[in-house]
Amino acid sequence: MTSTIIELQDVKKIYKMNGVETPALRGVSLKINKGEFVAIMGPSGSGKSTLLHMVGALDTPTSGKVFLDGVDISTLKESDLARLRGNKIGIVFQFFNLHPTLTALENIELPMIIVEKDKKERQQRALELIKAVGLEHRAHHLPSQMSGGEQQRIAIARALANDPEIILADELTGNLDTKTKAEIMSFLLQLQKEKKMTVTIITHEPEIAQYAETIIHIVDGKIKVGG
Amino acid sequence: MKFADILKLSLNGLTHRGLRSWLTILGIIVGVAAVIAMLSIGAGMSQSMKSQMSNFGADVLTVSVGRTRAFGPESGFTNRFQPGESGSPPGMQGQTSQTTTTATTATLTDTDLLAISKAEGVETVSGIISGRATVQYLAQTVTVTVEGIEPSAWNSMTTSKLASGRLLESGESTNVVIGNGVANGMFDYNLTIDTQIRIGSKTFTIVGILAESGTGSFGGDDRTIFMTIQVAREIVTDIGNNDYSSIQVKVTDTNAVDQIIENVKQVLYTSRMVTSDTADFTVTSPTSMLATIQSTMQTLTFFLTGIAAISLLVGAIGIANTMFMSVMERTRLIGILKSIGTRNSEIMKMFLAESGIIGLMGGLLGIFLGFIVVGVISSIGFNIMGMGRMGTNTSVAIVTPELILFALAFSTIIGIVSGLIPARKAANLQVVEAMRSE
Repeated sequence: MTSTIIELQDVKKIYKMNGVETPALRGVSLKINKGEFVAIMGPSGSGKSTLLHMVGALDTPTSGKVFLDGVDISTLKESDLARLRGNKIGIVFQFFNLHPTLTALENIELPMIIVEKDKKERQQRALELIKAVGLEHRAHHLPSQMSGGEQQRIAIARALANDPEIILADELTGNLDTKTKAEIMSFLLQLQKEKKMTVTIITHEPEIAQYAETIIHIVDGKIKVGG
Repeated sequence: MKFADILKLSLNGLTHRGLRSWLTILGIIVGVAAVIAMLSIGAGMSQSMKSQMSNFGADVLTVSVGRTRAFGPESGFTNRFQPGESGSPPGMQGQTSQTTTTATTATLTDTDLLAISKAEGVETVSGIISGRATVQYLAQTVTVTVEGIEPSAWNSMTTSKLASGRLLESGESTNVVIGNGVANGMFDYNLTIDTQIRIGSKTFTIVGILAESGTGSFGGDDRTIFMTIQVAREIVTDIGNNDYSSIQVKVTDTNAVDQIIENVKQVLYTSRMVTSDTADFTVTSPTSMLATIQSTMQTLTFFLTGIAAISLLVGAIGIANTMFMSVMERTRLIGILKSIGTRNSEIMKMFLAESGIIGLMGGLLGIFLGFIVVGVISSIGFNIMGMGRMGTNTSVAIVTPELILFALAFSTIIGIVSGLIPARKAANLQVVEAMRSE
């Protein structure tokens, strides 16, 4: 029995810059089921990052609808949408994910501070998470004192802080070495298997996409059927 | 997000940009310190003035020649010496001209004295002559201000206290009362009661020494020697026999001083044949002098504070600038914060808290610096506007708790207002755009 957690209905996104309209998405419809591991692939400029922003409620479509857990996000106020991101979605970006002047542990705690979790609870949770990504010895380091791979692991730990239903990752392994890549991907896979999280990643590397159950190819702002 | 956590994040940002934060705060410190210093010096000076003025006796008016307003010296001084236009009635005028040794000095006359004494609300009048005379004591010669007074009237009007001895009595021709400053410090050896001194060509005995009084027209007697008016006319020779340097007027009702001043002016217009436009005399009361000084002080304080406020404004622009830079630098961070659930309003609060903290810190430290400045100025003695001659133990600057609270609130508000536009800019950043910036 599978239920849909993310649904896009004919989503179009047109960016306007200096009066020039650049279509990024030209009508995308898709459904992602709860607990599914999806990889979005496509060449650069194909609109895959825009698609991820739509899924993550980071941006609103020019036309079409985005449903998160059955809720049309265009009906939400900015403040509710922000909290929806905080509670239901964990996002990891390719670079510079972390708050530069907070320590690793504080960074993991941050999403819980935002949604006003109890102080004891959040500190305990942050400790658990930093152990889960194997970086407890880095707890009191600033992001600038950690390697790229370590920063990404902290970013993943942070994305997990509020027990989100959806993990979104934009090229999170893009600038990491092969060994670290494998470590991080198996960690995500484990989360999906054990916690039944929905994982959606963007990648241009086929070997990363191999981890996913479903691969969506996007070209020129449209899903390439049969990819 | 809880406000305490927003504050923590703001503080975190500020401390990590230490030097820049401090430089921005410094701008506010200087501004606040300048405003505090100016305001409290202003308050201190006018308080100091007030306490000095209270020595005068609120019921005594002073009529003196010369004018303090209108068309400047030319009109006043030239008109005064055209016969029939000013001065005494014709008969009197001739006599005055002959006996006045210095023709360019306008004087008050017996006629004026008589006229004033008949004005409504006047209790007693007393003419005074004053001039400079050489005083000799133990082969030392000093030039001192000498005042000739009518003891019975003067004694009832003065607010000066005796340090030792007694006041003068009518008809005494060889005795003097001296100001404290004359007794102490003017000569190598201090003068005491019964000491004999030579003034001009005559020898006098000191019968009274006044207590230290500060300054002022009637009470400010520190550096003056008093003698009866008849004797003074022999020593101060440049004043006519029927002329006076000034006239002291004791009023019957201190609540009607303004009206009585007007009465005195009216009778003098008639007796001196002048109009309010050509008036060659001035009537002052302690209260009117106080008001004049107060308003001058107020203008000065406003002016100085205005200049200080400009530096505060520059400090505020500094905050706005720093905050704009900070928003631009942290665009990506703002995007991250929003992507993990932070609301626009919380981003706004975060930046406003930062600029508010800058303002508050600037205010706190500015008050501290202001205190130091005020302390230094007070201890140096502050000689502006003759303040140095005034009471030595009067504080020159006053910092009130209200002023401190006001400064703190004001600097915090300045901080917040300066941060308003940058904070809005930060709050309204689109997540996706913010994330795109590096």
